[in-house]
Amino acid sequence: MSAVTTISARIGLLLLVWWALTEGDSSGIGFGLVVTALATVISLRLFPPAKVRIRPFPFLLFMLFFIGRSVVAGIDVSRRLLSPSLPVNPGYLTFYLSLPEGGPRWLLANTLSLMPGTLSVSLDGERLDLHCLDTREPVEADVRLVEQKVAQVFGLSPNNHFRQEGSQQ
Amino acid sequence: MTLVFNAVAAFLLLTLLVALERIWLGPTASDRMLASQLFGTTGVALLLVLAEAQAAPSLRDVALVLALLSVLAIVGFVTRVVRIDRRES
Amino acid sequence: MQLVQFLQVLLLAAGCVFFAIGTLGLFRFSETLTRIHALTKVDNLGLGFIVLALLLGVASLAVAMKVILIWVVALAASATSAHLIARAVRSQDRAGTRGSERND
Repeated sequence: MSAVTTISARIGLLLLVWWALTEGDSSGIGFGLVVTALATVISLRLFPPAKVRIRPFPFLLFMLFFIGRSVVAGIDVSRRLLSPSLPVNPGYLTFYLSLPEGGPRWLLANTLSLMPGTLSVSLDGERLDLHCLDTREPVEADVRLVEQKVAQVFGLSPNNHFRQEGSQQ
Repeated sequence: MTLVFNAVAAFLLLTLLVALERIWLGPTASDRMLASQLFGTTGVALLLVLAEAQAAPSLRDVALVLALLSVLAIVGFVTRVVRIDRRES
Repeated sequence: MQLVQFLQVLLLAAGCVFFAIGTLGLFRFSETLTRIHALTKVDNLGLGFIVLALLLGVASLAVAMKVILIWVVALAASATSAHLIARAVRSQDRAGTRGSERND
């Protein structure tokens, strides 16, 4: 994976977005090419190609995992809302992440907000504060599982990743 | 099918109105900012359905802009009104 | 064709149910943070069902891509907003317990 791969992937993605935005109308393709070029330049300025890259295939698997979990999340909250006793036990929990800074941590915090029972409140360095709908649920196991999945998306080896976690305690 | 889409749009509008009623009661400013999030989801769904019901594709652009603006409104709120302390992060 | 329309109606109905439950959540939950839970998760599921229903009836692939793009943007927007409001609520709570003079 070189810088060329990153740049062409970004150009391809932006062209796809332009194509979708214009609903396949080819009359504005001139503008589209100019805008794509400018957007690519800006994206390289703002987010220079990083050491950790998203891997396409694990990312696809992660998307499926995420969609499944967010459906469970919606049903879980609905179930609690519809039961007369309103079984919630909200509270804060704090976790120390072993993922590297930047994209991986950001992806974890944002996806956790849409997963069952968790809502990320603040991400401060490696410290992640979560608000949980029900602290009696095994939230810890959930968070570690998602963390592992995020690590796979960025092609980080789980071994290295868990050793790091031990040293941070 | 157009009738079904119109009925769905009307229903979504109703849930939006009921939710806005609750949000109007507050009590805190943060509670009221949930309105922005509400428009980001229910509003987007409403516009997407309307685009289909009224055969007006441009409403899809409105939905996209609404989704983007809902975040910007909240970013404005948390940085200017609540003043999240940026130095601690 | 009939089957597709039947599926569409089913998905639209499911979407409506979840949006209604999301709104119910605003009334049944008393804390701001638990309300955010209800709004983000349940409403996003509702939006997901409605997007699926619309995808079944799109005119072209490009329109389908656009609907998916809007859905992804709405998902990201929802997650980001939920996080930001939750953080705002917490920083206000802390300011309150510390007895700071900040009162906005």
